Amino acid sequence: MSFTHLHVASGFSSHYGANSPELLVETAHNLGFDALGITDRDGLYGAVKHIGACLQVDLAPIVGVDLPVMDEDGSLLARVVVLAHGQSKGLGWATLCAVVTEAHAGGKKKQFGIKRTKLAALASSGVVTVLLGPDSDVGRATLGRSKNAAVKALGKWLELFSKPGTLGLEIVSLLTEPGKLFSSAQAKRMLELADAYAVPTVLTNAVRYIDPDDAITADILDAARHLEPLGKFEPQPNAQAYLKSSKQMLSVAVEIAGTKRAKQLIADTNLLADLCRLDPVSDCGWGKAKTPEKEALGITGSPFEVLFQKVQSGVNWRYGSVSKKELTKIQHRLNQELITINKLGFATYFLTVADVAQMIRDMNIRIAARGSGAGSLVNYLLGISSVDPVEHDLLFERFLSVERSSLPDIDIDVESARRHDIYRAIFKRYGSKRVTLLSMQSTYRGRGAMRDSALALGIDPDQVDEIASNMWRFSASSFRNALKVKPELAAFAEEVERNRVMNLLVDMTERLDRIPRHISMHPCGVILGDLTLPSLTPVEPSGMGLPMSQFDKDDMDPMGLLKLDVLGVRMQSTMAYAVQEIKRVRGFELDLDGIPKDDAKTFESINTTNTLGIFQIESPGQRELTGKHQLTVFNDLTIQISLFRPGPMKGNMILPYLDRRHGFEKPEYIHPDLKPILSETFGVVIFHEHVLRILHKMTGCTLARADELRRSLEKPGTKGLIEKFFRLEATKRGYSKQLIDKVWKILEGFGSFGFCKAHGAAFAMPTYQSAWLKTHYPTEFLSGLLTHDPGMYPRRLLVAEARRLGVKLLPIDINKSSEVFHVEKVGKETGVRMSFVDLQSISEAEIKRFIAGQPYENLSDFYLRGKPTRRTFERLALIGAFDSLVDSKDTTRGDILSKVKELNAMKQRPLEDDADALFYGKFIESLPKGNPEPSVDDKVNTEMSLLGMDITQHALEKYRPMLDELGVVFSSELSSIRSKTNVLVAGVRVATQTPPMRSGKRVVFISLDDGAGCSDSTFFEDAQNRCSHLLFNTRLMLIGGKVRRTGVRGVSIMAENAWRLDELWDQWNAKRLAISL
Amino acid sequence: MGRIDEAVSVLVDQEGIPTLFRWRKKDYQVSSRPVRWFARTEWWVGERAHRGIGSGAVEVEMWRFIATGDGSKCPFELLHNTAANSWKLLSRFE
Repeated sequence: MSFTHLHVASGFSSHYGANSPELLVETAHNLGFDALGITDRDGLYGAVKHIGACLQVDLAPIVGVDLPVMDEDGSLLARVVVLAHGQSKGLGWATLCAVVTEAHAGGKKKQFGIKRTKLAALASSGVVTVLLGPDSDVGRATLGRSKNAAVKALGKWLELFSKPGTLGLEIVSLLTEPGKLFSSAQAKRMLELADAYAVPTVLTNAVRYIDPDDAITADILDAARHLEPLGKFEPQPNAQAYLKSSKQMLSVAVEIAGTKRAKQLIADTNLLADLCRLDPVSDCGWGKAKTPEKEALGITGSPFEVLFQKVQSGVNWRYGSVSKKELTKIQHRLNQELITINKLGFATYFLTVADVAQMIRDMNIRIAARGSGAGSLVNYLLGISSVDPVEHDLLFERFLSVERSSLPDIDIDVESARRHDIYRAIFKRYGSKRVTLLSMQSTYRGRGAMRDSALALGIDPDQVDEIASNMWRFSASSFRNALKVKPELAAFAEEVERNRVMNLLVDMTERLDRIPRHISMHPCGVILGDLTLPSLTPVEPSGMGLPMSQFDKDDMDPMGLLKLDVLGVRMQSTMAYAVQEIKRVRGFELDLDGIPKDDAKTFESINTTNTLGIFQIESPGQRELTGKHQLTVFNDLTIQISLFRPGPMKGNMILPYLDRRHGFEKPEYIHPDLKPILSETFGVVIFHEHVLRILHKMTGCTLARADELRRSLEKPGTKGLIEKFFRLEATKRGYSKQLIDKVWKILEGFGSFGFCKAHGAAFAMPTYQSAWLKTHYPTEFLSGLLTHDPGMYPRRLLVAEARRLGVKLLPIDINKSSEVFHVEKVGKETGVRMSFVDLQSISEAEIKRFIAGQPYENLSDFYLRGKPTRRTFERLALIGAFDSLVDSKDTTRGDILSKVKELNAMKQRPLEDDADALFYGKFIESLPKGNPEPSVDDKVNTEMSLLGMDITQHALEKYRPMLDELGVVFSSELSSIRSKTNVLVAGVRVATQTPPMRSGKRVVFISLDDGAGCSDSTFFEDAQNRCSHLLFNTRLMLIGGKVRRTGVRGVSIMAENAWRLDELWDQWNAKRLAISL
Repeated sequence: MGRIDEAVSVLVDQEGIPTLFRWRKKDYQVSSRPVRWFARTEWWVGERAHRGIGSGAVEVEMWRFIATGDGSKCPFELLHNTAANSWKLLSRFE
């Protein structure tokens, strides 16, 4: 007799279920079930994945939820299961969504759950069934002596759920001790109660894992949920809540009720299961694209006609001045794209994205497209993208084609600082019925898995933090294996041998790997749909308050939901800020999107490799590549950004490209037909677009088909078919076997190594724009960088870069500084005024108050009105924020500090308007005299410790006499030193990287800033042995090694040894002292 | 009720249900329908908890029945560690 599981929690039941929906479905299929339910706790988090997995193996999907129900007074009555009825034209699904959304409506403040009356009202539609199990008020009452209590409790439910079929009792036996919760005895009593009142019953196993073995995992998850160690709370009764087979379930039923009633119970279970079998298409709108209705977009008539009109006016806007011949070419391409869009019925989709893009631009926020969407002329004409696909030779087919019918991803980058404003505007424009934020599930990884396992064992999680921080580049599930091979874990491995608890910890950490942990707002996804959206996805409040779908990005495509990626990019904020500062200080409006793309000065400045702060190309690796590459045109940026990606790097594309570009090797185009395709990269196949064109040229297939072939190339299974097709068609077109062999070898090797050129070109735009700003408006650009902090480096390095560029750095001043880094006029020059934000332990509220009170007449005035904390007051004095309040001729910073200490010593700050205040504030204040002015060294040290950066002068300056004596070279001199020369470099360590190497050996890269730029040193194993203890936590270093030239201006140091600068300094001074004595 | 906690040897039928056990050199015949349930262990006091360690690490089988032997007839509770297939007489209710 077959059975159907109706109550199953997947791993998406946070801190409860142990296995993925996919694994549950696979197991159910192997056990011979033909349907399976998923009822995650508190939401439909795993539902779409469940349905998808069911469709794969032809299992009927059933979906419900497991959630708390409260009485009117808010007291918890039960955790119930609510199952959606299928084949109900979506009504069951919609009601289930409504139930879940309602349960979350209270937000984080109120107790989570749904009121019984609310649930009854929703269930009265007759398309969902509510199940009361052993852990409900009714179930628990059956454990007591009085039969009456259970009857009474059930009566209350029946009163509210009067419609037949809306309420049932869930009979469960986890074979616990007779008379206890989840025992067969309890199940029997519940069954008898149900039978006495003619309430339908079903059998479930309240499943939370596939196999009893996973009960341990469930125990750990329970501990994480309770936030208490194992043994400190009531644990699950045993390991019986697993996905039992039909036979096992029958024997459970027989144990509860005897053979005859057992069979009836299972038959009734199957009856409800049949009612709940979902038809994904008609019940959940599976795979059907939903876009906002026409009226929401403010259009009438055919969306395609509106789109047609819009792009035609876009042609006038974008290509107003091109030749007639060009225009014909553009029109032809446009028609091709429009035909595809029309065939797929995506006109509304494009209009929607265009509408959002227009709205963002109307809000005066910078916007740029990213990804393959930049390959579309329609996107360019609609203003969604600002990269001209004709000029940059990008292909629409890589983005969208009739061969694929899923909604394409159009990702847009906006200013990060304005992202939430945009979300709110989208909600306002389309209404919260059509819009919701996307969510994402974070899963357990090394650190989290270890911390929560530690918690379960009663170990202070902080105690394992150090070990956890070494858990990288391997998944937590192979922790034990990593202990054997990773040197950084050697000490811990030894402890595991000795310590029983640590040994357990390893096993437990492995178990948690990849289990979903919590849901949060996706960093950039917004779901845009029509008015049916609330019936398709349950929502809950997000961190920023706006509703968020319980579905994640992988659920979008199957559910036919349109996801718009509005990604906040700090560089866009940085550039917007720079443009705004240019306008404020210089009084003119810079059109950053209209700047010439061939500015020689910009490329010259990029080629110096001082690319710090420039989008995409500021990392040490990109800096080195820039030196070797020596870019001259915009397309070079596209190529460089695309080359420095895992794919092209693994595919070994960089070296041949560089060698050919610089003439060390002859370009090789394989065949004259391929020369036009590959000339931009001297014959090296780098872009997906290259592959598409080669396939198109040599086989005659359409570009759309070619993209499908390219995608299949990445899958090993279909490669053979493509090879056959390629050889056959290319031979037909008269290409020689030798040539075909050669090209196939390239295509085959290309696999997943290439990069989408449209994506590279879309990134190249902000890269160029930021480089242009840095070249022409360094002060404004640096103020933007410092304010919005877009890159990978700390602020102090940006400050060093500013100094190197000759940008004036204006110290923190109590009357002039603010929460941002402003450009300030100083006489004829401009400079960047340092902001309060970096001062240690200053609060946002303080900063606001300080700014509101500006200007201050003197220290007492600031003390009274700025109301600084004692600590902030003293720190501001130490870094010189009050220097401008006094006459530097007769007052030192020491004098100021002394006065600050005096004010700080007062027990209570006088009120602003009382007499004392008048005395302190308005009278000329007397400052103590005779305290020394700190030396420059002292000032820099104070800045470093309180601000984390050196403003007065570069931190290395102090050591200059010693460095000169040692013959240390500046990083800027390296490119003119011959290869293999021994050199010494010094500086502040700005980055240590240990990228994975093909050989598996660890290589450490260190970048040092010495004020003239950055030097990059490479430590191989030998060198690491000499100084590994210094490489990860020393601030000021001296490195010795050999110069390694890697190209025209590419240079790095092959390190041999490293030293701490402060230790050398002490030794050097001691020696000097000795000599002078 | 007497807590005993001693290892015993047990004879089971085809379905694994105890029919007879031997305790302190005396045989006891199961004379009622045994009730079985599963109780949990505290695996975290042990050494390992790796994947695939098996249900035996988390739960034990418990049996309660009336048995006759050594001139008396009373309820007994047996614990069956399924992983090690070892039996223990937990309690005797007199």
